[in-house]
Amino acid sequence: MKLSKKEETQLMLDIFDIKEDILKMIYRSQSGHPGGSLSCANLIYILYKNVLKLKPEEPQWKERDYFILSKGHAAPALYAVLSKIGFIDKDKLMTLRAYNSELQGHPIKNEKLRIEIITGSLGMGLSIGVGCALSAKLDKKKDKYVYVLLGDGELNEGAIWEAAMSAAHYNLDNLIAIIDRNGFQIDGSTEEIMALEPLASKWKSFGWEVIELDGSNLSELIKGFNRAKKVIKKPILIISYLIKGADVSFMENTRLFHGRPPNKEEFVAAMGELEFLKDEIREGRL
Amino acid sequence: MVELSLRDVFGNLLVEFGKKYEDIIVLDADLSSSTRTSKFAKEYPNRFFNMGIAEQNMMGSALGFAISGKIPIVSGFTIFTTGRAWDFIRLACHDNLNIKIITTHSGIVGEDGSTHHALEDLSLMASLPNLTILSPADDVELRKMFEHVIEIKGPIYMRLPRGGFSRVHDDDYQFSTDHIDVLKDGSDICLMGCGYGTELAYHSVQSIEQKLNVSLKVINLSTIKPINKVKLLKHVKDLKGVIIIEEHNIYCGIGSIIAKMIAETKPLPMRFIGINDVFVESGERSELLEKYGLNENVLMEKINKLMEFTKN
Repeated sequence: MKLSKKEETQLMLDIFDIKEDILKMIYRSQSGHPGGSLSCANLIYILYKNVLKLKPEEPQWKERDYFILSKGHAAPALYAVLSKIGFIDKDKLMTLRAYNSELQGHPIKNEKLRIEIITGSLGMGLSIGVGCALSAKLDKKKDKYVYVLLGDGELNEGAIWEAAMSAAHYNLDNLIAIIDRNGFQIDGSTEEIMALEPLASKWKSFGWEVIELDGSNLSELIKGFNRAKKVIKKPILIISYLIKGADVSFMENTRLFHGRPPNKEEFVAAMGELEFLKDEIREGRL
Repeated sequence: MVELSLRDVFGNLLVEFGKKYEDIIVLDADLSSSTRTSKFAKEYPNRFFNMGIAEQNMMGSALGFAISGKIPIVSGFTIFTTGRAWDFIRLACHDNLNIKIITTHSGIVGEDGSTHHALEDLSLMASLPNLTILSPADDVELRKMFEHVIEIKGPIYMRLPRGGFSRVHDDDYQFSTDHIDVLKDGSDICLMGCGYGTELAYHSVQSIEQKLNVSLKVINLSTIKPINKVKLLKHVKDLKGVIIIEEHNIYCGIGSIIAKMIAETKPLPMRFIGINDVFVESGERSELLEKYGLNENVLMEKINKLMEFTKN
């Protein structure tokens, strides 16, 4: 499916709304992870909007695709997307991380909110995805896909590579993992802390089909997911090159906003930047 | 005395229940011939998944199967399954996922030595909310427990030994997690244990009673969590003391759990038999049980001293 200019513009505007929500939520709660939420917000939105097979009126529909947010610290992005799609009330977003809120610091299973499982202890989502994909194969559900969003930093975890080995062993072509390759983890750049490169060849050597794409380009993302679904007898990895803190200039490509909320001045400046970019999109300049 | 290997019984039960419940799938970490999940693998090859020597991924996959509506039974050696994959088990417990962790080679395994003995698993597991923890005393109880394991919706951990325990139950025994399994009544001291602890208490009790002129009660604590506290305390409140016997580190095992319950209500003198916070080396299981004081003589001595203590 190729996006029309109008569709692409609307998707981009939606994504900027989501980014504003992310920043508001984190600013209000004065805790959370802006950098890794801004990087993958567009990716999660495209998944929910254009890729995942879901029934809005039936959260536990047995034929639904699964989405596992392995990088659970991007919870604000997930919640904001679920709100945009209509699965979470917008009012609820501002309760992020608050006492008595369903919107926990890291996601927990919540059938009503469409959260399949708890995540946040890093390195676990791919194994969970392997189990879901094996189960779908066992039930001969040919049209059911399992999507797992991984952070690049969490690839340091050994369990990821156990899962990678097993997915290829069991020919799980219904498992599509996506790496948010933004290049930063808490203590610094991924290459400085625990080098990942050459990343694509590592996964290829584990028996995965690897697709590399510019995750900021929505058409390319959609094309990547379509390509992934055509692969047979191999699990698929999409290395999505993204920008930590994307679209807020002083949060981009830095580790500083991995897990730190913006202060008032930073918040106001960030919202101003997002508003400016939205105008640019509306006026066709971006 | 009848003594069936509990892992053999487990293997047979998997096949039996696999037929009845099509949602059961079994995962193992390259130990299927040891854990006897190989029997299920042979019968239902499509529903058996050998995940290789990778306990974390095995457990993580079980979480995925559980959210897909299956009943995953995860097996392997006790110490590796509970230890290596603990963080995954913790998350499964958080979301109350329907996973069944049934491991063999619990307690002292024998010649394989300290890396393979599982003397810390109860500490790891008992601190997890929502988890049901079971430890059958014999093959009769294991069979009766199995129905509950499948019927209970939620995470379960069952601790099996490498070998077996001589029978303490008749065939008509009925298991319930809510029930306190009193194997023998008595009025002085209660001996309480699970697995080997139950076996030791039950089979030593007659001779110790005669030698020491004491009346002993024996409770098989096969449901380690959740324990029906009210019922359990009723059984011990009028006694002079309680002795816990466990094939586990004396810290943070069933002794610690029961001591807390008793301390909070009507405190009673308690004594503990178990592995005294050390690592255990290689050797024949019987030799090691002897060396580390999990035997009838030590039990008798503890009872004798506790009786003396209660007189003062």
